Amino acid sequence: MAEKNYYTIDPMGKLQCMKCRVPLEKGKAKFMYLDNGFPVELPVCPQCGFVYVPEELALGKVLAVERALEDK
Amino acid sequence: MFLEERESTHVYRQKRMFTKEELETRERLCVHEQPAFCNAACPLKLDAKAMLQAVAENDFKKALQLYEKITPFPHVLSAGCEAPCEGSCLLCRMGEGVAIRKLEQAVCAYGEKGRKGLPRMKKKKTVAIFGSGLFSLFLAGELQKKAYPVTVFCAENDLQHYFDAETGFVSARARESSLLALKGMDIQFRFQTDLGQLSSLREGFDVVCASWEAVKDCTDWEEALMYSRELKIVTGKTSGVLGAAFGAKKAALSVDRLAQNLDPSNTRGEEGTVETKLFVDLTDVKASNQCIGSGTREEAVAEAGRCIQCTCDACVKACAYLQHYKKYPRILTREIYNNVSIIMGDHMMNKPINACALCGQCSVVCPNGYDVGEICHIARQNMVTTGKMPLAPHEFALMDMLFSNHEAFLCRPQPGFEQCKYVFFPGCQAAAIAPDTVAAAYRDLCERLEGGVAIMLGCCGAICDWAGRYEMYDETKAFLDEQLKSLGSPVVIAGCPTCKKELSGHEGLVLTGIWDILTEIGLPESAKGLDTPAALHDSCGARGDRQTQDAIRGLAQRMGCTLVDTPYCADKSPCCGYGGLTQYTNREIARKMTQKCLERSELPYISYCMACRDRFAREGRESKHILELVYGTNAGSPPDISQKRYNRLSLKQELLRQIWNEETEEMDFGFNIEYSPEVTALMDDRMILKSDIIAVLQQLRQTGEAVLDGETGLCIARARLGNVTFWVKYQEIEGGYRVFGAYSHRMNVVRRQG
Repeated sequence: MAEKNYYTIDPMGKLQCMKCRVPLEKGKAKFMYLDNGFPVELPVCPQCGFVYVPEELALGKVLAVERALEDK
Repeated sequence: MFLEERESTHVYRQKRMFTKEELETRERLCVHEQPAFCNAACPLKLDAKAMLQAVAENDFKKALQLYEKITPFPHVLSAGCEAPCEGSCLLCRMGEGVAIRKLEQAVCAYGEKGRKGLPRMKKKKTVAIFGSGLFSLFLAGELQKKAYPVTVFCAENDLQHYFDAETGFVSARARESSLLALKGMDIQFRFQTDLGQLSSLREGFDVVCASWEAVKDCTDWEEALMYSRELKIVTGKTSGVLGAAFGAKKAALSVDRLAQNLDPSNTRGEEGTVETKLFVDLTDVKASNQCIGSGTREEAVAEAGRCIQCTCDACVKACAYLQHYKKYPRILTREIYNNVSIIMGDHMMNKPINACALCGQCSVVCPNGYDVGEICHIARQNMVTTGKMPLAPHEFALMDMLFSNHEAFLCRPQPGFEQCKYVFFPGCQAAAIAPDTVAAAYRDLCERLEGGVAIMLGCCGAICDWAGRYEMYDETKAFLDEQLKSLGSPVVIAGCPTCKKELSGHEGLVLTGIWDILTEIGLPESAKGLDTPAALHDSCGARGDRQTQDAIRGLAQRMGCTLVDTPYCADKSPCCGYGGLTQYTNREIARKMTQKCLERSELPYISYCMACRDRFAREGRESKHILELVYGTNAGSPPDISQKRYNRLSLKQELLRQIWNEETEEMDFGFNIEYSPEVTALMDDRMILKSDIIAVLQQLRQTGEAVLDGETGLCIARARLGNVTFWVKYQEIEGGYRVFGAYSHRMNVVRRQG
């Protein structure tokens, strides 16, 4: 069975890896915090593997989950 | 240098904060839930405070509902009650107490009857009451309320005579209402009964009650139970109206027990009057007289309005933190205790535990010295022990402390001295907020004190102490002790009351404050007070330190300041919001704390803790640290978090260059960075330092890793620094970068295979 993704962002070709000069693609990534893992799909460089976390995600969902986990 | 994040949320360690007995002992100190004096004095436990509140709000219906809770015949009771509540009213101490009995009468007169509740299922056990009089009347009413099938045997001819037996004191109107109420009650009557036939008439009833007159030869009755074990009759002597009503209440409870074939003396709960430990601050209460003459509705409302609604809220009134959570210390303690005991799941009280300023104000304003700060501090240490303390709320402050005691740390004897008689310890906040003032103070001390004055720029350890990180505190303590030893264990001249308090825990340390030294050696020529009157804000670090409080006042006055003491001054002073790391853990509450400090006066504030000076200025108030006045310096606008670090570092370098003639390294990282004011403000809000931005850009230069956002045209680079990933939005410019934004997250993101 496919692993559940908690969040998906498709870069739709709008983001480019500065190092590899190729567009970022929707790729598999994982957020890790306090021994908890959350599989997600984020913009990833297909060559160097750079995973991009946009500001809205960092200050929104990610922050909310961080706070919830911190009080566990 | 980074701190270690706690390993996992799946660690199930537990340690009790203290024993259940200690918890209860601590909880008992909080008297907020103690009954008001009027309530404590009433054997029937009338909630007079609530009733008076309802009357004051012109809600006589609610008031009557409250009064009816204690008696089935409110008209009769209010007409004849001896009202011990009135004598216990606190207003009696300074004038006339509230006329509670007259208000009860007004409640009976103007209170509309509520709708009758749903009919209740009658109980199966039957009760007989022999005789008439007040006890019999009240008991019949009480038992009817409890849904017992009640039969009253009396010598009188009819209901009118039964009611009249001992109610001559009741006015005609009230008598009419009461009789009507009695008629409406589901009580069976056997009139014209020969009470001498009690022993035969009692047959068939499960419980038998009797007025005292009906059982004349009873000798063994127990007053607490209103019961004669010998006769197996619920009875007893009562005196007065209140006595009869209370006797009937006790008797009704005995009937309950007997109906269940239980001993009437067991599990009765608390009966009768109680002693209350309630504390009420009467400072602002003025003496007044009763204003209920003829008993009109308006008079009753006005009279009830005199009630001061006795309650103990000394701590909550004083503290922005307690006000924010709307909780009294007892409840808060219990919830914190339970929170710490939770092994799995959400710890809902983590935020309140970490939001307290630990300033100890509550322990001074509370009549019993309840210290919420101590509870929160113990809880924090406990959470650190069990691995349940999140690092996120305290990490910035702890890193700041490490910065103070490493990169920005300085410990030097005065040039020309190997060992010194003194060491000046200005405190990390003074160096961060007012470096020029610290430099001026150090030069002055070197010039005017004999025996050599060393300097120690660093943190006293308050930060890790507040964070509950006791191991880190011990390390800091050992580090400072070692440094002091290298200086020849000099007398420490603290520049901050909190440092002085923290350092007082070091064994064998001789401590004084710069304010004490200045009092002794006199003020320098630069000293000049404010031209306008100012409010003095006492530091929470100086709580209980009268000498410091007095010395500061003395210095300010010698400089020509006109000081105005504020409410909650000296030992009762609130925290500005920096203490206990509230500034980092809960900015909303920290801001409320600052505003609470400032609401005491419209005047400019003089303080003697640099954190207070900073937070007051941040709220837009003219704010001076006493040392700024002494040395004629001006720390200016509050610095942002990066500037605070820069100030500490540059103070160290400036002192090294100017006093010790040492070459210092230029703070150059090889490229330029431009920030707009909006970005600087945003970074301050998000607790992102310029040094974090530099680290990200340095990593970018090494790896070339970044993303170009085609929509905005901005590049975004990142670096994982310790427990946090920082992202920087930038554009390359000649010789460096222009920063357009920055954000961070603590979760680590990795690529997933598959």
